[in-house]
Amino acid sequence: MGRNSVRGTLAALTASLIGVPVADAADINRTETSILIYSENERTQALEATFSLSKELKNQFLLDLRLTYDGLTGATPTGASPSKYPQTLTRASGGESEELEPGSFPLDGSFNDTRFAADATMSRQLGKLSVVKFGTHLSSEHDYSSVGLNFGVNRDFNGRNTTVGIAGSFSKDVVKPVTGFNQPFSEVGLTLNETAQERLARFKGRNKRVSDIVFSLAQIISRGTVVRFSYSYSRASGYLTDPYKIFSIVQSPDSADPGEPILNLFEKRPDARRQSAVFSEIRKQIFGRAAAFSYRFYWDDWQIRSHTADFSMHFDFKRKGAVLPRVRWYQQSGANFHVPFLIQGDPLPSYASADSRLAQFRAFTYGLGYSYPLSSNSKVNLSFEYYMQRGQVNPPASLAQSINFGLFPELNVIMLRLGYAHEFF
Amino acid sequence: MKTRNFIQVLLIVAVIIYSFCGCASVGVNVLDRDILSRPEMQFDYRTNDLALDEHIYFSKEASSGGRGFGGGGCGCN
Repeated sequence: MGRNSVRGTLAALTASLIGVPVADAADINRTETSILIYSENERTQALEATFSLSKELKNQFLLDLRLTYDGLTGATPTGASPSKYPQTLTRASGGESEELEPGSFPLDGSFNDTRFAADATMSRQLGKLSVVKFGTHLSSEHDYSSVGLNFGVNRDFNGRNTTVGIAGSFSKDVVKPVTGFNQPFSEVGLTLNETAQERLARFKGRNKRVSDIVFSLAQIISRGTVVRFSYSYSRASGYLTDPYKIFSIVQSPDSADPGEPILNLFEKRPDARRQSAVFSEIRKQIFGRAAAFSYRFYWDDWQIRSHTADFSMHFDFKRKGAVLPRVRWYQQSGANFHVPFLIQGDPLPSYASADSRLAQFRAFTYGLGYSYPLSSNSKVNLSFEYYMQRGQVNPPASLAQSINFGLFPELNVIMLRLGYAHEFF
Repeated sequence: MKTRNFIQVLLIVAVIIYSFCGCASVGVNVLDRDILSRPEMQFDYRTNDLALDEHIYFSKEASSGGRGFGGGGCGCN
């Protein structure tokens, strides 16, 4: 084993620690191209292409560049309640109408977007034991854009067995929905009587600011075991509501048709959010094979708590390639303002959203990857993953008799990934 | 209150781990890191896949952060 590979290990360890993805930030230059095909059951379809480059520059600078393209099309749940009868819904993001089958979740079928993102990071060794990094991020969608800066520093201790890191980032995003901003809790589908000036103001972009800080610690335990821990804190402020999401007002229990939606209102979320997460990961050789296990506990001031556990193995068959099975388990509690709907006559709360992503649910990912070496410095990666969400959203007890269908739109996703990695000197 | 208790437990665990890391028995001489230098033993092994995964989970779940920076940069959530 050469000195370079030792440096490679340490540099890669430190790179991953600070949250700035500097792939193999060692003495190896490499490119990687990946294509992901993402397909939800009767909903969103997406194609995502990523190109990344890691290259050593002059004066010990390392450049990491990542370019991403996303193309999305299809339908997404609006948040409106299913009806027992055929329903006509005005699309939140399009203004057109669609007919719905009885009992089905209203979907916004006009969803269509492309996204470009670029991330660049420069890193440099500082002395023998420290690495500093500076990075920038840009992304653009037709209704959303983001600009960000990040930095990080880490240092090795204890005979380079311990690495401590700190990293921070700041991003400023601009939200600009194609429909303009609708007044929270205003009725969906109403014709607005507004002046040209009011309309112009309604279409003006609104800001969202996100600051992150990550503290991390990595430790080599033995010849075949390495662990890391991190704590991350993120603070978001500004426009955090989803401009396309709505929720229903349903008939009260003493009405003629309890639980039946009457009208839809635009949702409203708080304008600040504080998120924290603790993360741990162990990589260990078991019977000569690398196993990776990670666990994350997440909490925020919207009262969402989540647990994430991820396990993968790496079965190396040398020239015949490597097989990587993977299992991920995720569970979250719902946000304190998440509602399946509101009941007619009840007072409006300060905030309300029926977005299923803010509901209580569990998710599972089952994956199988295969990596095949084409030559000593290039390989292809293939992977198949199946992702499913199963939720628990119950109607209030007073309507339990009237609503006999689930209020969480179940999600099943198939993901296929093809990648090509090439190393050069 | 639960969060505060959790953070306290976390701090205690962190202190234990830190003192554990200081022990001479933990850690490996630089010359014995052949296994640790393998690509699959790196925390950022298959970075592109990790980035694609994190992006999907960010857009479909309410949690973020831990592995790296948490939020921002996408209108998908």
